Amino acid sequence: MEKLNFEEALAKLEQIIKELESGNIELNKAIDKYTEAMKLVKSCSDTLNDATEQVNKILKENGELVDFSIEQTEE
Amino acid sequence: MLGTEQKYITISVLNEYIREMFESNTFLRKVYLKGEISNFKQHTTGHLYFTLKDENARMSAVMFRSNAQGLGFKPEDGMNVLVTGRISCYPAQGTYQIYVDSMEMDGLGNLFIEYEKLKKKLASEGLFDQKYKKPIPKYPKKIGIITASTGAAIHDILSTIKRRYPICETILFPSLVQGASAAPEIVKQIKKANEFDLDVLICGRGGGSIEDLWAFNEEIVARAIFESKIPIISAVGHDVDYTIADFVADLRAPTPTGAAEMAVPKKEDLYRLLKEKQKQLNSHIKNHLQQRMEKVHTLQSSYILKNPMSLYEIKAQKLDSYNEQLQKEMHYIIENARNAFLRVKQNPILIKPLVSFSNVESTLEKDTLKLKNYILSVLEKKEHEKSILLNKLQLLNPLSVLDKGYSLVSKNNKIIKDIKEVALEDEIEIQLSKGTLSAIVKEKKEWKN
Repeated sequence: MEKLNFEEALAKLEQIIKELESGNIELNKAIDKYTEAMKLVKSCSDTLNDATEQVNKILKENGELVDFSIEQTEE
Repeated sequence: MLGTEQKYITISVLNEYIREMFESNTFLRKVYLKGEISNFKQHTTGHLYFTLKDENARMSAVMFRSNAQGLGFKPEDGMNVLVTGRISCYPAQGTYQIYVDSMEMDGLGNLFIEYEKLKKKLASEGLFDQKYKKPIPKYPKKIGIITASTGAAIHDILSTIKRRYPICETILFPSLVQGASAAPEIVKQIKKANEFDLDVLICGRGGGSIEDLWAFNEEIVARAIFESKIPIISAVGHDVDYTIADFVADLRAPTPTGAAEMAVPKKEDLYRLLKEKQKQLNSHIKNHLQQRMEKVHTLQSSYILKNPMSLYEIKAQKLDSYNEQLQKEMHYIIENARNAFLRVKQNPILIKPLVSFSNVESTLEKDTLKLKNYILSVLEKKEHEKSILLNKLQLLNPLSVLDKGYSLVSKNNKIIKDIKEVALEDEIEIQLSKGTLSAIVKEKKEWKN
């Protein structure tokens, strides 16, 4: 399964749910879809869990992007 | 003469004296003055020159660049302002004027009029139309922020994003957010941000006086927001503040924190959403399995599967009837065969073969004679029939009449039936019973009838 971003993964998930909802799908296909959907759920949760450190940058006058932290926002 | 001459002083000296007079007067060192701007001019050096006036009086004013830089608005003719400064003389011109240290707009009237004017203008151009509002992506990967790099606004935005949706990256495009340079800098950063691959831009600042927020009421800022390819969430001041930028932006947030909340989803909500989806999936697959199960049950309880013997019974019955039929057929065939065999068996040849043979021999001799006689009698009969037929034929032959004394007349091998067919002196042939005569017609006698 190719790596989908969060939005794509959710959209795919939504689509699979709709397909399963419709009912007229072969059982083994339904099970394949279900397995795929569960993987998507897991990949989405993993994405949310993995974000330990948020990436913040600031664009310098010279056009350089450098790290920026909330602490730097204090006056 | 010299004494008289010494009474006169130069203009320079006088003006310098007057200047010192002004400047030694503590009262004139700091004057609070209000009036209307006219003849406003901004020199290339950045110094501002204008006249302050009321209904009856006027006064020159100068504001040097160092002081003018911090202005929160663009002074223009007709504007009512409050200024502080010192009064002094400009010796070169012999004029006194006010050297302005600070200037602000007098009352909010002016600002309000300008705001309404611009709002009306941009609205009529369609800059606020819903059809131009770009949708804000639900799950942004990268967010641009245009605000001051220090202060509450950036702090609130970053901490809110971190709390709600830390998988999203941010890029800050630092900008002044108040003062005269704020508007052009915001414009510059909006353009700069559009060079980056961003999902959404937050543009704003924390609360402040209406003058503090004024950059977000500037036309150039409004137009830059409108032209941005990246959707923009505006977040200026507090909930009660509505700036022009808010009207043009694709989405208006009440505060910087609010903007961050609108820009990113909440992690907890997403977890809940995922749980929800998982539940839906489980229930769907369960339904599928249950449906199949029910089908299996229905099939299981079908009569045939429940009474498999019935399947066999039908077949057994059929088998019996086939069996019966088969036996009948077999019996019949055997009976037939037996009869045929009996018939053959009773043939005398088989019973007494030699006796039969001599019988056959004498029978054959008798039969041969019989056949011979029969053929001879048939031949005789046929010969007789033939001679009768020949006689009859003889009677029918046209030439046989010649034997009786008749003759045939012909001309050029054609039989003549009418006298008109011959002329006198024609050569004709007369056929008799045993030869022909050639003759020439000597006379014609036609019968009249």
